[in-house]
Amino acid sequence: MPNQFEPKIVSFLCNWCSYAGADLAGTSRISYPQNIRIIRVPCSGRVDPLFVVKAFLDGADGVMVLGCHPGDCHYQQGNYIAQRRYSIMHRLLEFTGIESERLFVDWVSASEGKRFAEVVTAFTERVRNLGPLPLIGTKKLSKEKFQEVAS
Amino acid sequence: MTSLENQIRNSARKFLEDGQVSCVIGYERDARGRARPAFIVKADDTERLIWDSDCSLNLVNYLHSRKSPPGKDQPIPKTAVVVRPCDVRAIQLLINEQQLKRENIKIIGITCAGTDINHQLRTECEFCQERIPLIYDVLVEPEKPVELPASQDAYADIEEMESWSSEERFDFWTKEFDRCIRCYACRQACPGCYCFECVAEQVDPHWTSIALEVPEKMFFHVMRAFHLAGRCVGCGACEAACPMNIPLGKLNRKIAKEILELFGYHTGDNSENLPPLVCFNPDERLKI
Repeated sequence: MPNQFEPKIVSFLCNWCSYAGADLAGTSRISYPQNIRIIRVPCSGRVDPLFVVKAFLDGADGVMVLGCHPGDCHYQQGNYIAQRRYSIMHRLLEFTGIESERLFVDWVSASEGKRFAEVVTAFTERVRNLGPLPLIGTKKLSKEKFQEVAS
Repeated sequence: MTSLENQIRNSARKFLEDGQVSCVIGYERDARGRARPAFIVKADDTERLIWDSDCSLNLVNYLHSRKSPPGKDQPIPKTAVVVRPCDVRAIQLLINEQQLKRENIKIIGITCAGTDINHQLRTECEFCQERIPLIYDVLVEPEKPVELPASQDAYADIEEMESWSSEERFDFWTKEFDRCIRCYACRQACPGCYCFECVAEQVDPHWTSIALEVPEKMFFHVMRAFHLAGRCVGCGACEAACPMNIPLGKLNRKIAKEILELFGYHTGDNSENLPPLVCFNPDERLKI
């Protein structure tokens, strides 16, 4: 399908579990959608909600935060803190009119390469169905328009 | 002069004359007839202090400038502050966050009948069941006790917005944020916003551009609301300070509602419990 909407998805993967999980998916030659842009972070607790909002602001259609399963955090408590943060962030985004389905937080361990591919596939499909985020469309002066005005 | 004003002036005078504090922060009348913060250092100046429904700023905000010693080997200055019941919660928050020490503050607590923003009673005040501050050194009381409002559903307007569709909410906020001029008055008026360098102005990393576009404004307001998650006391100072009348309180109250539902936490109940987003419980599994 040539005209199908391809969402941009930013994903923050924890170094110790999910990033290794993505690596395993790769070395096991399991294919998953190319829509995700992976950013490696030391821990899901490092992912400041600022990063998520910034990603949306700069044109991401969906954001993923993956960390170690509760109890397995390399730093003991990072994912517990992330859990609390994102439970609130989800509800705040929903309230401002950005569908909370665009933010996905889950736990994927280093041995779950197959599950990583499944999670990414399901989330990409979800965001594709939601369509592009309308936020960028609210800019009065888009990049294209700016160049048009400037020339 | 009302009896409340009289009581405020008398206790301020007593604090200053006894040398218990070096400054009293209260409200005074400005040249345009509106209430503005006043910093009284002389006992005779206490006559300037006023109290009415226009006093809708949170004076706890000004304690930040008096939390450290003015010079080497000098003690932290002692300050008295005129506060409403909601403002007192901000004092509890700041004590919790180790910004203030209780012994350095004298609290002139007001039995509050609600304050106005743009000559309209604040939304929070319509439902507020707390008319007497939780902690105080002096309580300013009217002759008749304040009647509590019958309606107790403090989040009725939030619940209504939740029932809208995503598009409706997006349109609502896009329209509201479009008016924002990014003056950051909301941040300056807030006792909880005391970072030395705010993400909105940080240059390295440059989180957000200075453009007056909706995404940038939304970024600022969503981040500000989130930084106040579990810390906002609902004093409404941000709304009172906003020159464009953006209903900023709605964002904060939405979070306060969720925090209360999820963690049973109400900011400022005491100065011991940590806000829920800076601690954790290993046994809980939240829906995210």
